Amino acid sequence: MTTRESPGDPLDDPRWELVRAVARTTVPTPPGLVARVLKSVQGVRGHRLASGLEIPFESGRLRIGERVIVLLARRLGTELARKLGGVHIAAVALEGDDLQVLVTVRYGVAAGEAAGALRSGLHEALTEQLGTPAPSVHVHIVDVHPN
Amino acid sequence: MDRAGETLDPSDDLVTKAVEGDHTAFDTLVRAHTPKMYRVALRITGTAAEAEDVVQESWISAWRALPAFRHESAVSTWLYRVVTNTALAQVRRRRPTVSLDAALSVDGEGTGLSLLGHDLLADTRANPEGQVVRAEQVDAVLRAIAGLDLSQRVPLVLREFEGLSYEEIAEVLEVSIPALRSRLHRARVALLAKLREPR
Repeated sequence: MTTRESPGDPLDDPRWELVRAVARTTVPTPPGLVARVLKSVQGVRGHRLASGLEIPFESGRLRIGERVIVLLARRLGTELARKLGGVHIAAVALEGDDLQVLVTVRYGVAAGEAAGALRSGLHEALTEQLGTPAPSVHVHIVDVHPN
Repeated sequence: MDRAGETLDPSDDLVTKAVEGDHTAFDTLVRAHTPKMYRVALRITGTAAEAEDVVQESWISAWRALPAFRHESAVSTWLYRVVTNTALAQVRRRRPTVSLDAALSVDGEGTGLSLLGHDLLADTRANPEGQVVRAEQVDAVLRAIAGLDLSQRVPLVLREFEGLSYEEIAEVLEVSIPALRSRLHRARVALLAKLREPR
């Protein structure tokens, strides 16, 4: 459906054909993106048996649900990855008592170094946020992407 | 998508099932709608990595918002709204450190521009229909779009690239149709002006 706005409509300009041509090009979904999204959603959704974290206090216990931990880890991890540059958080999930973080790295990035920095930085940030020792963090490089 | 006609949208049924706790139904929604959400995110943010972040965040937001979904709009409209808002937040978040224009401007190495151009030039090669468009022309259009204000870029992407109706876009952006028409007209004029600029 094309709507003509007025005489001298930009849609009538010959250059607008360029825009239409670009609009006709397809944008391929990155390989594995759907799987990474599903993994993330599953992580946030949590497992029925997962109990989250329990922090003891003098007067009782504070329980932090698995979803909260995963969401927090994802948010903190995304910020850290942005600062590191060339690292992208693909998915976060709590499996057993450990956090599993799947990342992709840009070609040319020192992957091992970046993954190590992310792992230690995320663990430190989580510990600070939770006020208690955080779950162990495992970073897995699952893909390398150009640019 | 036609609410008035009550056309049966399979996604509607999937959302209902997902709200009831059917994880498979939500996963089916993810599989069905991720390509379009990625497309929108890419064209708003301009980079593949950010677009991936946006898509992931969007689905997590959508999952959390499921119980509040009232079927008052089409599922696809709701998801367009989620991904658009997430992409806008993403672009605004990076603004203090790297402006969008700076990120997409041609520098010596073409770093920012190549992020945008790489994916979409690849699209052109992958699509026989797109092969007729010269790569630099595609590049010019994408750079021009990336240089638009967000308030113009987003409706332009939804209208020209996603083919949404005025009514749908107005619903996604929560603006009136006259306001949207005006904004789109200004966006088109601004885009043409940018395309006329000498490179």
